[in-house]
Amino acid sequence: MSTAEAPAADTARGLPPADGRGRNLWEQYGIPALFLAPALVFLAVWIVYPTISTTIRSFYDRSGDEFIGFDNYETLFSDDTLFTAIRNNFLWVLIVPAFVTAIGLVFAVLIERVRFSTAFKVAVFMPMAISLFAAGVIWRLMYEKDPNQGTLNAGIAVVRDAVKPSAALERALPSTQDLQGSTDSGFVLETPLEPGSGVARLGLTGIRASDVPEDAEQAVVPEALSGGITGVVWRDFSPGGGTPGTVEDQELGLSGITIELRDESGRSVAETTSETNGTFEFPDLDPGTYQAAVSSDTFSAPFAGVSWLGEGLILPAVMIAYIWVWAGFAMVVIAAGLAAIPRDLLEAARTDGASELQVFRRVTIPLLAPVLTVVFITMLIYVLKVFDIVISVAPGGVQDDANVIALAMWRTSFGGVNNHGLGAAIAVFLFLLVIPVLAINIRRFRREV
Amino acid sequence: MRYRWLVFALLVSALAFVAAGCGGDDDGGGGAAGSEDVSGSISIMAIWGGTEQESFEAVIAGFEEAYPNVNASYTSGGDNLAPLLNTAVEGGNPPDIAAVGQPGLMADFAEQGAIKPIDNLREAIVDNFGEDVADVGAVDGTQYGLMFKGANKSTIWYNVASFEEAGVEAPEDWDGLTEVRDTIKAAGITPYSVGVDVGWPMTDLFENIYLRSAGAEMYDQLARHEIPWTHQSVKDALTLMADVVGDGSNLAGGTSGALETEMPESVAKVFSDSPEGAMVIIGDFAPGVTETTLQPVEGFNVFDFPAIEGSEPAVMGGGDIFLKFKDNPAADAFLEYLTTPEAAELWASRGGFSSPNRNLDTGVYPDEITRTTASALAEAEVFRFDMSDLQPSAFGGTPGQGMWKHFTDFVQNPDDIDGTAEKLEADANKAFN
Amino acid sequence: MTTAELEAPQTARAEESTAARIVRFLSRTPVYLLIAFVGLLWLVPTFGLFFTSLIEPASIGTAGWWEIFSTPSIATFENYREIFDNEDITSAIWTTLWVAIGGTILPILVAAFAAYAFAWLEFPGRDWLFLVVVALLVVPIQMALIPIFSLYNDLGLFDSILGLMLFHTAFGLPFAIFLLRNFFIGIPRDLLEAARIDGASEFRIFFRLILPLGLPAIASLAIFQFLWVWNDLLVALTFARDTQPITVAIFTQLRQFSANIELIAPAAFVSLAIPLVVFFAFQRYFVEGLLAGSVK
Repeated sequence: MSTAEAPAADTARGLPPADGRGRNLWEQYGIPALFLAPALVFLAVWIVYPTISTTIRSFYDRSGDEFIGFDNYETLFSDDTLFTAIRNNFLWVLIVPAFVTAIGLVFAVLIERVRFSTAFKVAVFMPMAISLFAAGVIWRLMYEKDPNQGTLNAGIAVVRDAVKPSAALERALPSTQDLQGSTDSGFVLETPLEPGSGVARLGLTGIRASDVPEDAEQAVVPEALSGGITGVVWRDFSPGGGTPGTVEDQELGLSGITIELRDESGRSVAETTSETNGTFEFPDLDPGTYQAAVSSDTFSAPFAGVSWLGEGLILPAVMIAYIWVWAGFAMVVIAAGLAAIPRDLLEAARTDGASELQVFRRVTIPLLAPVLTVVFITMLIYVLKVFDIVISVAPGGVQDDANVIALAMWRTSFGGVNNHGLGAAIAVFLFLLVIPVLAINIRRFRREV
Repeated sequence: MRYRWLVFALLVSALAFVAAGCGGDDDGGGGAAGSEDVSGSISIMAIWGGTEQESFEAVIAGFEEAYPNVNASYTSGGDNLAPLLNTAVEGGNPPDIAAVGQPGLMADFAEQGAIKPIDNLREAIVDNFGEDVADVGAVDGTQYGLMFKGANKSTIWYNVASFEEAGVEAPEDWDGLTEVRDTIKAAGITPYSVGVDVGWPMTDLFENIYLRSAGAEMYDQLARHEIPWTHQSVKDALTLMADVVGDGSNLAGGTSGALETEMPESVAKVFSDSPEGAMVIIGDFAPGVTETTLQPVEGFNVFDFPAIEGSEPAVMGGGDIFLKFKDNPAADAFLEYLTTPEAAELWASRGGFSSPNRNLDTGVYPDEITRTTASALAEAEVFRFDMSDLQPSAFGGTPGQGMWKHFTDFVQNPDDIDGTAEKLEADANKAFN
Repeated sequence: MTTAELEAPQTARAEESTAARIVRFLSRTPVYLLIAFVGLLWLVPTFGLFFTSLIEPASIGTAGWWEIFSTPSIATFENYREIFDNEDITSAIWTTLWVAIGGTILPILVAAFAAYAFAWLEFPGRDWLFLVVVALLVVPIQMALIPIFSLYNDLGLFDSILGLMLFHTAFGLPFAIFLLRNFFIGIPRDLLEAARIDGASEFRIFFRLILPLGLPAIASLAIFQFLWVWNDLLVALTFARDTQPITVAIFTQLRQFSANIELIAPAAFVSLAIPLVVFFAFQRYFVEGLLAGSVK
């Protein structure tokens, strides 16, 4: 659209004066001014003036006295923390508006075909009625790492438990130096054993008293077995530590543990399970040297919970929370747009032989384009300004990784640093970022006019 | 026709709201000099909310009783106090009095000329709190602040049942602590609950270690940046610190769990029927930050941060420092009131408060534990303020920067001692210049 | 469309057999199920917070909210009682009502005037000015905090309901003007021309035609703006000291280090109640309003 068309649009909509005569000065300027004045005053004082003031402030230093030109802007681009913020916003812009619009579209299409859609609409729109602070709290609870508290991890734990068989023990540590290994590879007793004389002592610690199998009894060191190897596996802990390596009073044997016998080359040649007092035996062995080991099958690590709020996942975690809040907005707007599409156009396409999918792609989507654009662009603007949800979902330790420009500005201006000049520069930068987005919006808008 | 009236009615009601809103704020006038003739009003801001707010308001009530013609009102800024104060100062309308937790922030305000000196109170402060504490509120020899509320940060809290199960007792020194940790671990209990939060609990841990491993003098030097952060003493302390937080298997939730845990949660994990960690290294405010069914002494207890290689008993702590932003005789009266043991008693008796006031009878504290930690603070021979709070806030008190950031990173990379020291030094240089 | 084309769809529909009907129904059921599933999923987080608000303080740190079903003993209304016991909260609700209602009515009125001008009055530069106004949508609130703080200080508006109300009005204007203007344009020109021919002045047209016809859009705008002001924390925190809206009142109830979930959770729901009522009451207008304002 060229500038020449703008004046044409200007006059096209105005109403002709009441009695057909030309408009006088009052009607041409006075009345519009009267209608516009309150709004313009508000906007000028509360929005325009601060914007100018902040822009000027961004050229001054921390205390506001010294003019430093573009120094603050240089810092903006060289500081690591700010860089992360900018990168994160970039990711937000790339991912979230598209997701929100897509989800909104899917939901809108789904509910178009059914009655009683109000309940669904309300359910999906409700997050918008909750303050962003509360939404943040909600998701912070959901993401809690501990499966006993965090909803998401609790769900995962349930699935995991159903799928994986439980093992005898969750974790353990060797009690002495000659027992080497880990729960992943098993614990091997370095001391070589020979049939007829070998008695293996496999002492394990790091096991809670309450985790010991119920049927366990006082551990006993067995006698040597002629032609075989015996041993005992037990919880090698007495309050205060006790003497590691020795079976003491009150120390319980571990039953149901899988013990391997390995030959000189490290190959497993026999397996057995320990008794209630922790003893086990491998009878009838060929002569040679062997090693006893606690098989890694014994252990299944407990589910520690996915670290949704950890530095790796915090970004997607916050985004999900945000999408949860705004999907309702997208859905409602797009549903309204869908409802406005004339039915006969769709029917015509169908009778022309188009499949549902083709109808959707060729007819519905293009007609929906204006609405989709509104949703998408609104989301783009809001996402560039995103602040509340980040500050309330991300715990202090990971706020760095989840940093966004608006949050960086807040921390710089108001957090300990108190550098209003730099904060102002960040704000101006944010403002500048949004302008191109707005330019697109303007072009779309003018097409409609 | 109807609609015009509707709009008119709306306009009128809007104006009515406007009128109601024009209630505006009171302005206090100054009063005549002299204690009981002081009148006017003062506005006070601090971070205390909830029960702490109630306790502080009890102190205010005591003040208003002594000065019946003064009206004092308190507003909580919560954790946003610093930003709110900064905005208010920039905007030209700060409260009369505010309590901040960082001497560094106080120094910033002094530099800006935002706070007024209170040299006339110096004597009263020294009499009641001692030189060390009085100096906390001084900037370049001028007295600006009064540390009314203190926090003993050289404490380690533990779950009694866990200790009993493992058969251990509170250790006396650093090696003892390591033994305790190993025994607890062997008993199948996770030794530590750590909440990295935005990083300050980690700086507290470092400072406790450094105060003991390097000594009080070097602590002061480091605080004033007279020795660099790349000094060997710092690296030694970092090595000791890595011994505590470096191994994820010693921490509740592992390293990633520690990183996403905030401080109150880390305490809740220990103060619980089914604790996730046996010990939490945090200051004496611990019982106040979480709800628990456990009772002090039987359910949870505390011991002093252990000595390192025979270091002398020392307390590293913090406090809330009251500052005066406007010239106002009523404000002066309030600050003077705060120097008295009577004021301290009003809060101390309610719990959750450690007074640095030596003239306070420690019998007023509600329980054994508080009495111990509070008197340790008041009677400390060696008291040092939390170092990160002494630094310029850009280095010592800002999320995502300086000390807070590098110590957070250190938990993830406990092997990178040299790198961490270098980054700290680089940021310190920027802040001090 | 020719007669043939007109008839084709009708015959197509008439021929739909019972079998086709069944297929149609069956293909719908999965959709119903999917919708029910997704709807419930969407509600889970909110339910989680609701049940958390019912858990006794000491158990909150250790139990997940679902344990309320297995161990009903940990449920309590104590948390809600705590909230209401505190008189600050009750007076805060009143403050919030004043600010929210004022901060909703005022911007709507002001925006309606401006929107009409942009829609139906002629004056030079009209469309460019409109674009500038919409562009202001972009300015983040943080940018305005300090300059307005100084301004309020000089004007004595600090810590007043009026100050809060005016701030929210200003920042609600760009979107409000945008939405209303797009809606007003859709009003049939002939209606307005007829009124003009009858000799109506601009004011008459505005009050007697535009506003009544614009009610759906105004209603939906009201919901949006009300929600926004009611839930605001940042502005209130900065500009209010003694006069506190509910978001701030709750916020300051938090212990040092902001740890009381047992207060945040019930407070969030208390705070949620009124906006939700408003939403339910107006949601019919909401959809129509958005439809009209955006698709034009």
